[in-house]
Amino acid sequence: MSTATDSGYVNFFQAKKGLASWIFTLDHKRIGLLYFYSVLAFFLVGVLLGFLMRLELIAPGETIMKATQYNQVFTLHGVIMIFLFIIPVIPAIFGNFFLPIMIGTDDVAFPKLNLLSWWLYILGALFALSTLVVGEGPADTGWTFYAPYSVKTGTNVTLAVLAAFILGFSSILTGLNFIVTIHRLRFPGMKWFDMPLFMWGLYATSWIQLLATPVIGITLLMIIAERTFGIGLFDPAIGGDPILYQHLFWIYSHPAVYIMVLPAMGIVSEIIPTFTNRTIFGYKAIAISSLAIAFVGYFVWGHHMFTSGMSGPARIIFSLLTFLVAIPSAIKVFNWVATLYKGSIEIKPPLLYAMAFIFQFSIGGLTGLVNGALAANVHVHDTYFVVGHFHYVMFGGTGFAFFGAMHYWFPKIWGKMYNIKRANIAFAILFAGFNLLYFPMLIVGIMGMPRRYYDYLPEFTTMNVISTVGSWVLIIGLIMMLWNLINGYRKGKIAGNNPWGGVTLEWQTKSPPPLPNFLKKPELPEDGPYTFK
Amino acid sequence: MKAEEIQHITSFREHFGTWLALIILTVMTVTISVFGADLLSLTVVTALAIATTKAIVVGYYFMHLKYESRIYLLMVGVVMLLFIVFLVLTIFDYVFR
Repeated sequence: MSTATDSGYVNFFQAKKGLASWIFTLDHKRIGLLYFYSVLAFFLVGVLLGFLMRLELIAPGETIMKATQYNQVFTLHGVIMIFLFIIPVIPAIFGNFFLPIMIGTDDVAFPKLNLLSWWLYILGALFALSTLVVGEGPADTGWTFYAPYSVKTGTNVTLAVLAAFILGFSSILTGLNFIVTIHRLRFPGMKWFDMPLFMWGLYATSWIQLLATPVIGITLLMIIAERTFGIGLFDPAIGGDPILYQHLFWIYSHPAVYIMVLPAMGIVSEIIPTFTNRTIFGYKAIAISSLAIAFVGYFVWGHHMFTSGMSGPARIIFSLLTFLVAIPSAIKVFNWVATLYKGSIEIKPPLLYAMAFIFQFSIGGLTGLVNGALAANVHVHDTYFVVGHFHYVMFGGTGFAFFGAMHYWFPKIWGKMYNIKRANIAFAILFAGFNLLYFPMLIVGIMGMPRRYYDYLPEFTTMNVISTVGSWVLIIGLIMMLWNLINGYRKGKIAGNNPWGGVTLEWQTKSPPPLPNFLKKPELPEDGPYTFK
Repeated sequence: MKAEEIQHITSFREHFGTWLALIILTVMTVTISVFGADLLSLTVVTALAIATTKAIVVGYYFMHLKYESRIYLLMVGVVMLLFIVFLVLTIFDYVFR
């Protein structure tokens, strides 16, 4: 890194050199960057698989792959994007890098566990990738590994399930570390409601990681036990119950959706005050709604099972409970919009991504109401409507928040600035590509196109062509965005310590931060974390 | 020194009592499941009650939860509540299927 030695400090890049100083580091910032490079690499693999799926779906019938290959590709796309990208992406990268800095401490509570969690991530990733080259190839079950098919198929389900199991441990360790760090290591005088809202998002997320992940761990081991020893847990042919699998799977996997989106909401809550130059509207409401989402999120898993054969009364109760989640989610959205209202708005790339988050997450959320309503769900459940809804929330929400965070904290992490104009253009292309890709899925889903097939009826062709073209536009935007950031890293101008005028603690330290995070004690703002003067 | 940083030395008697309680409860679980004690529909409820009691004994005595401040008791309480919700909602489905 180029900034630094002239002002008499050594930044965390310069503190130590060599590969070993990275892969065995205990510094939370370096571990955050290790995650950044690994997660981004798997994201690109996931994008490539998605691109291939869209190419297959450009026309009815077999285009570039056979049905089995398509099943394997969408399974691997799901496993990579869920377990290797979207679950760890924000907590493990930006949480690791910024949590200690934003609460004014020098590291997480358990640095060695932090490093172990990255190593487990890599081990889990190797298991997932090994399914490509071993035996009958990648699992063809979908990322949900639904029984009894996952018990019977000859593809590499055991390895894929083991990968998810190991990745779960990585996730638990990160969550544990963050909870203890937030409880024990906050800067003296920083009370709970003095914490930046990103911390609240991470705190709520960490509890879900800690409490829900063990459930999926045990469930996945039960799959292995049934495949290996023939124990009748889920396969009705040997006395099992496939709906029990779905209960156990979604007890984790629905709260996991909030592992994916709560940190993203935290990022939006950081970006908006900075670029509106005003205190966030409804700080406490946003903070508490994070906990409320995490809590209520435990009670709604059954809405994934409305067409599974679950009992009628249970379906009605889960449908009612599902609507409760809309309340804290809407509280956040209204408060963000209220913050923008009459704010001194500076349109910069991070804010564009934050606004795209609000727009796309709202579409995802509103289509979620359709899915949550029992009567409507039965019609759209196994259609592309659900695929569109899911991608609007996850990619349109969390994915764009991730891109926003990259642009927001880029100057802090690397000490340099990217080209703002090119970043804006890349954003516009990404935004257009995203909506072109996923909005047709909502329409074609309502028309009745089933999901998970490599083929479809000719009447769905137009929307599928638009969607596939959208995937190309999206990828062009993605390449432009990454190219611009890499260029900023290589040739960008020195950014300074606080290029955006942010007021949370990370903007009080150097860019890039020194190894102990702060060279002098940071100053806590008197009137809360978002006091703009 | 803050309350949570005080070191607690537990008596041998308390450790032994904890161990003995866990052994007795384990024997009860094995008796019910392996040797087929005929409790009819109460079998599952009994097994869960024993397991919950064991968890409380471990948490309260062995893991020193009894010395901790209320916030940690609250955390454990919330976790127990969630676990109960998992069970109740899942069993609710089975009962009405």
